[in-house]
Amino acid sequence: MAKRVLIVDDAIFMRNMIKDIFAGGGFEIVGEAANGLEALEKYKELRPDLTTMDIVMPFKSGIEATREIVKHDPEAVIVMCSALGQESLVMEAIEAGASDFIVKPFKAEDVLSVVKKVLGD
Amino acid sequence: MALEMAKYLGLFVTEASDHLAKLGAELVHLESAREDGAQVASLVDGLFRHVHSLKGMAASMELDGTAALAHRAEDLVEPFRRRGQAPDPESVDVLLAAIDGLGGLVQRAAAGESGEADPALLARVAQAAERARNDEPRPAPAPLHRAVEVEVEVAPSCPVPSVRAFLVVKKLSRLGELVRAVPGVEDLKAGRLPERRLALVLATAEPLGEVERALAQISDLAAVAVREAPAPVPVPAAALSPAAVAVPARSAAAEPARPAEEAVRTVRVRVDLLDSFLDAVGELILATSRLREIGRALPEQHRPPLEDGVDRLHATVKDLHDKVMAVRMTPLAVVTERLPRTARDLARRIGKQVEVEVRGAEIEIDRAILDELGDPLTHLVRNAVDHGLESPAERLGAGKSATGHLTLSARRERDRVLIEIADDGRGMDPERLRRAAVEKGALTASAARALGDREALLLACLPGVSTARQVTELSGRGVGLDAVKRSAEALGGALEIDSAPGRGTRFVLRLPLTVAVQQVLLVQVAGEVLALPIAKVHGAAQVELSALDATQGAPVLPYDGGLVPVRDLGALLGLGGVRPAACSVVVADGGGGPVALAVDALLGQQEAVLKPLQRPFDRVAGLSAVTVLASGRPVFVLDVHRLVTA
Repeated sequence: MAKRVLIVDDAIFMRNMIKDIFAGGGFEIVGEAANGLEALEKYKELRPDLTTMDIVMPFKSGIEATREIVKHDPEAVIVMCSALGQESLVMEAIEAGASDFIVKPFKAEDVLSVVKKVLGD
Repeated sequence: MALEMAKYLGLFVTEASDHLAKLGAELVHLESAREDGAQVASLVDGLFRHVHSLKGMAASMELDGTAALAHRAEDLVEPFRRRGQAPDPESVDVLLAAIDGLGGLVQRAAAGESGEADPALLARVAQAAERARNDEPRPAPAPLHRAVEVEVEVAPSCPVPSVRAFLVVKKLSRLGELVRAVPGVEDLKAGRLPERRLALVLATAEPLGEVERALAQISDLAAVAVREAPAPVPVPAAALSPAAVAVPARSAAAEPARPAEEAVRTVRVRVDLLDSFLDAVGELILATSRLREIGRALPEQHRPPLEDGVDRLHATVKDLHDKVMAVRMTPLAVVTERLPRTARDLARRIGKQVEVEVRGAEIEIDRAILDELGDPLTHLVRNAVDHGLESPAERLGAGKSATGHLTLSARRERDRVLIEIADDGRGMDPERLRRAAVEKGALTASAARALGDREALLLACLPGVSTARQVTELSGRGVGLDAVKRSAEALGGALEIDSAPGRGTRFVLRLPLTVAVQQVLLVQVAGEVLALPIAKVHGAAQVELSALDATQGAPVLPYDGGLVPVRDLGALLGLGGVRPAACSVVVADGGGGPVALAVDALLGQQEAVLKPLQRPFDRVAGLSAVTVLASGRPVFVLDVHRLVTA
């Protein structure tokens, strides 16, 4: 069965790009969220196998959202979407419970390889 | 330690040592003052104040390791202080270990070092604290913490190597306690990862495979190495509880101060690699024998040089075989060292008192056997404490000391090792076992009567025949005596029980020292060659079957002052009967007693490399293994017990 993915990013452009990468990798995109608050709600509702999480977002940052999701579900698999220069934020997210991270600019095969590994496939 | 703190160091060391000394003295005092409620409450209060002060002082000195350990010790004392209750003996043990650990750390602080607390000790204290809070003994033994070394190299393609390394640190931290990270977490946070390499030491109860699995889920790692640390995490020896750190007896005894030197002189080898060495040596032995056979067919003048070469080859292979076997030998202590603790913990939980003596733990046996011994020995020890020993009151009533004695002793007897677990408890009653077996329908009344007392004791091994008045949660679960017996037999050994009602019970595991190479007796039956394990053979004789007394139906052989039933091996195997006029019999252990197997001829004794049976032969009752003769001919090794009972 295809793994179910929730995509969290405040930019529609980024969400579409990430969606295409995952769809191409045989994943099922079950939902999208544009900020940390929405991410938490969608996560509880959808219980995805994997969540991709932007770090800097309005209302609630990706780090806060990660912390709350992991508190709610310690098994949650959350992959941070980061950019060069965000190293310390990514480490903060890892401390908050993120499972892994990818670094922009994304290459489809790199992204898929990271998530497959982290899912233990 | 910050520089401006250094001037307070002397004062800290003096005061901390004072608190520690008082802690130790008060703990001992508490043990003797258990009856006096008011005195206990005030002593426990004192304990709490000492650890609390120590924690505060250490934290102010930025001695984080010391503060952490003191904090956990405080957690452990707190529930007892709240209840105005003296800590139970188990908690006292843990507190004493914590005091020793703190003493070591304070000494190191005096020398200007800020040491980390031993993670295994921290875990042990935390676990005891949790138990004290729940005020309920916990069945799980302390987790076994081992030091695991991990080295990773981040792939050059990773744009943020320090973040990658940070992720490795965090993921592994979830499997245990991080003892060391080079570079440290602060360096990683600052983006420093020289040569993209990270080295960690993790104290964990998880198997290596779990660590490897966690690492396999992390991307961008160019190289990963995981191995058991050659020596335990260096900590003061006093702080190492035998149950908390699983290391072989020899390395536990070695001074932890010299781990580097140890690492140079020893290497760790995977057990499956050792097994493959043994297989290869077995093949060499066979190939050498085959060469010798071929040589016999050569013309006379060519034989001496070949035989000379084969002799030398044989000697070398034999030497190699001995060395490979020696490498596989491991002291019994690896499985026995936690048993006294198991016995004491169980006794404490069920209100009994026990003293355990272990003798002969230095005897070495094959790793493969040792691996299978842990559960059976643990079961026998628990069984002895749970069912064998009486309560202190019952013992005193019977004129015994309140404390029961359990002796675990091992000794070598030629190529066997005997492991005895003896208690001085209530003993087992063969008559009750006979009745129980008949009631359960395991045996007819007449068969039960026919059993000797020692045989009747073995009825306790039949599932459901145990006469334990109540099946307790502890020994009524998991492996039973039947499983112990099966394990012993699977290893080519046997379980014996000896008991005197009121005086105690002795379980004896009789095991081979090594598994893979066994002496076998080759016999011929109806044109087939078969092998019998020498360990199961009592003797052999030439007889005329028709001359034997057969008035009871089957012929019987007078042997060793008794009569042994004779079974025709050819008929048992469906190969056709032996020639009755001039046949031999082999008296072997048939499980329920000796049995004489009639065969056409005895071919001799030989060392055989046993190989497990493949399908469909593994389904045939009575066959236990296969071996290959020097001629290249495969020969089945018989399981006499299953053959005669099938």
